[in-house]
Amino acid sequence: MTRRPITLTVNGRAETVLAEPRTHLADLLRGELLLTGTHIGCEHGVCGACTVEVDGAPARSCILHAGACEGSGIRTIEGFDADPVMAALREAFSAEHALQCGYCTPGMLVTARDIVLRLPEADEARVREELAGNLCRCTGYRGIVHAILRVLAERRAT
Amino acid sequence: MTEQGVGASLRRKEDARFLHGRGRYVGDIAPRGLLEVAFLRSPVAHARLTGIGKPEGAEERVFAAADLPEIGPIRANSALPGFRASDQPALATGKLRHVGEPIAACLAASRAEAEDLAAACRLDYEPLPAVADMLTARAPGTPLIHEHWPDNAFLETRRDEDLSDLDAVAAAKVVRRLRTARQSMAPLEGRGVLAEWDPRLEQLILTSSTQMPHVTKTGLAECLGLDEGQVRVIAPDVGGGFGYKGILLPEELVCAALAIRLGRPVRWLEDRLESLTAHANCREHHYIVTAWADAGGRLLGAEVDATVDAGAYSCYPFSACLEAAQIGSIFPGPYTLPRFRYRTVSACTNKPPILPYRGVARTGVCYAMETTLDALARKLGLSAEAVRLANLVPPEAMPYRNLVGKVFDSGDYPEAVRRAVAAVDVPRIRARQAAGECVGFGLSVFCEQGAHGTSVYHGWGIPFVPGYEQAQARFTPDGVLELRTGVHSHGQGLETTLAQVAHEVLGVDPARVRLVHGDTALTPYSTGTWGSRAMVMAGGAVAEACRLLGERAIAIGAALLQAEPGTATLRNGAVQAGEASISLDQIARTWFRHPQNLPRDVDKGGLEVTAGYRPDPDTGTHSYACHAVTVRIETETGLVTIEDYVVVEDGGRLVNPMIVDGQVLGGTAQGIGTALYEEMPFDAEGQPLAGTLADYLLPGATEVPSIRIDHMETPSPWTRFGQKGIGESGAIGPPAAIINAINDALAPLGAEVTDLPATPARLLAAIEAAR
Repeated sequence: MTRRPITLTVNGRAETVLAEPRTHLADLLRGELLLTGTHIGCEHGVCGACTVEVDGAPARSCILHAGACEGSGIRTIEGFDADPVMAALREAFSAEHALQCGYCTPGMLVTARDIVLRLPEADEARVREELAGNLCRCTGYRGIVHAILRVLAERRAT
Repeated sequence: MTEQGVGASLRRKEDARFLHGRGRYVGDIAPRGLLEVAFLRSPVAHARLTGIGKPEGAEERVFAAADLPEIGPIRANSALPGFRASDQPALATGKLRHVGEPIAACLAASRAEAEDLAAACRLDYEPLPAVADMLTARAPGTPLIHEHWPDNAFLETRRDEDLSDLDAVAAAKVVRRLRTARQSMAPLEGRGVLAEWDPRLEQLILTSSTQMPHVTKTGLAECLGLDEGQVRVIAPDVGGGFGYKGILLPEELVCAALAIRLGRPVRWLEDRLESLTAHANCREHHYIVTAWADAGGRLLGAEVDATVDAGAYSCYPFSACLEAAQIGSIFPGPYTLPRFRYRTVSACTNKPPILPYRGVARTGVCYAMETTLDALARKLGLSAEAVRLANLVPPEAMPYRNLVGKVFDSGDYPEAVRRAVAAVDVPRIRARQAAGECVGFGLSVFCEQGAHGTSVYHGWGIPFVPGYEQAQARFTPDGVLELRTGVHSHGQGLETTLAQVAHEVLGVDPARVRLVHGDTALTPYSTGTWGSRAMVMAGGAVAEACRLLGERAIAIGAALLQAEPGTATLRNGAVQAGEASISLDQIARTWFRHPQNLPRDVDKGGLEVTAGYRPDPDTGTHSYACHAVTVRIETETGLVTIEDYVVVEDGGRLVNPMIVDGQVLGGTAQGIGTALYEEMPFDAEGQPLAGTLADYLLPGATEVPSIRIDHMETPSPWTRFGQKGIGESGAIGPPAAIINAINDALAPLGAEVTDLPATPARLLAAIEAAR
């Protein structure tokens, strides 16, 4: 199948890569760009393991054609090292034991960061509802919910 | 207890890499020259395979069974009397026995192109009637799945005891027919295999998302005709196991054979469709339970007729019968059942072969026993609590040997029930019921055998028997303590908890302890991480290896301090004699870099110890728990909401309470899925009907409540620190407790749910049937 060039910005760097029209963004990130922190869990947009930030909003990279991302700004789990909200979430995830096998964690963190920034007043019920698109098979979610609530509370206190 | 030793909720050492997306799973590893595999799989449940047409021009890239004669069949036979042997071909030969069975491997530079190739293959087959129902699988005239057998069953087991007098003496008798659904374990990371041939070492290097790298190595060597020195298995980060990855895979054999044949790296990554349909492989039980009790709720006897849908093949190493055949030994549960009769059948059907899923047979057994006890309670007008308390093994009877020979090590089972009930405002639930609300309260009580070893497993006669668990402890020249274990972590946090054990024994800072695991070339042999065994077995082995290493360090330290042997002790990571002290770092440096300073009689084994460990007796620890659930039901829609969930759990001494809580919470979430959501339906032709996670429903953050956990900590008298295996426990109790709560809520309507999962459709049907 023909491979076509796609130009996009990934974690702040301009990239031009060749991809088949059927390639989804998760495969492009993991395969061509070696950004394997984005995980693939279902490839039909249910589990949320592949969640990345596209132009500032969370998106499922497994059901997004790479070609549709021409000119977009993508941020993956590898692109948040300087981000204070992500740093607070990482600390809280560890403190609250919000991860076990780690496979859902990158997608979960990208969603969690969006919740924290978009819904500063979110309570537990709202946080759980917002997490509906991210499955975790290990933790039973309590640690994840508590970690997000902890960061929300910290931010409200400052 | 120290702040970092056994008993501390130490934060996990492994978190940092996962939080930064630096975990390394099979799918993240892509060596140069990699070929990706897509499997051509059976589209039908039962057929005679008559031909495979390879796409023109791609004949060299499609491999069927006839192309890979070097792969021998998988044989997972049991020595239990009457077990019927069968072979599982890695690629189908002659017959197709379940939807999704691998037929041919298609290779290409990318998975997408490999799938194109698989789609272009032609398949010739003659359909046979499918055996899709385990209850009619043995009926005369049913087509035989394995044609050399007399009927479609791997094994039948029995315990005969005449219970015919009980009808006359019992105050209550109940009979229940109960069913659990077939499930897919669905770890978020599917299976994955990367096979490479190293021509220098003449060694196959197989990287696989597996829970048991050493067992996989043995199985690969057996089936490929290699010696075990020619096989190295690496389990990198594994994205969840739960039993799903405790198996020698046909796909592993095929990838290995291809890598050897082609001299190129070959990789297969399971996608979700394969995981859900080809590998929906657990939990499908059917029970007819009859139980008799006296007026006080005391059980007089029980009879169980249990059938497990074991699928088409016997999986390596656990075999097709581990689930059904265990039902006989675990049905009495935590109770002092006086009389018992059973029959179990491991039925053979045209479905994916069964694997033991977290809790193994216990989830179904607990469901059968606990719903039956509630039926007795309702009939006798007793509370669920009263019936439990009338039958639980009392603490003063511990250690207790029950009528089928299970030995419980320690604990206060009745106290777990009392605590769980005390944690819930039951009178308020009763008041709401009286006011007409459809709410209910349910209990389940169970125990979980973990870390059972040689004495239990040799009797099964399956391809492996766990023996002494080994661990290696050694210092590096700069004083880092390296632990090497054959058990492997796939979310359990062993990098942290085994470091805590080492700290407890040697006083080394856990930050200076590294766990090497998941690689057969670097670690002692182990049957792996399954059966809630890692913390008991590897915890004990690491402790023993560290103890012996400490003795050697003390001998060197004493000499360096010019102290009398026997006067030196190990404390806080240093050898001390009187006022003088020398750190383990310095002792390590002396052995490796300044051996001129060593005493003449130094132990020549140096600072490297491999030790073996097995609890005595090794019949297993028994953790136990009581789950107490409150539900609310919308009778118009059949929707169940869990209002409150309490777990009172006794895992013996907890090595890391935070991690134990994580295991309990995660297990309970899976059990909630079993109770309310997860089901892989098959039609009469044996076709699986849930192909996506939008059809096969996993519990999300809105379905799992904030679970309240209360710990009891009764040490096991048989383990190194008193710890008990507890990894599966959470997944055992929820279906029983939730359905008991549902049936409590439905009791005023005269309705009762008996089949899992209790979906809205099943609830509405039960309500309708009672009208």
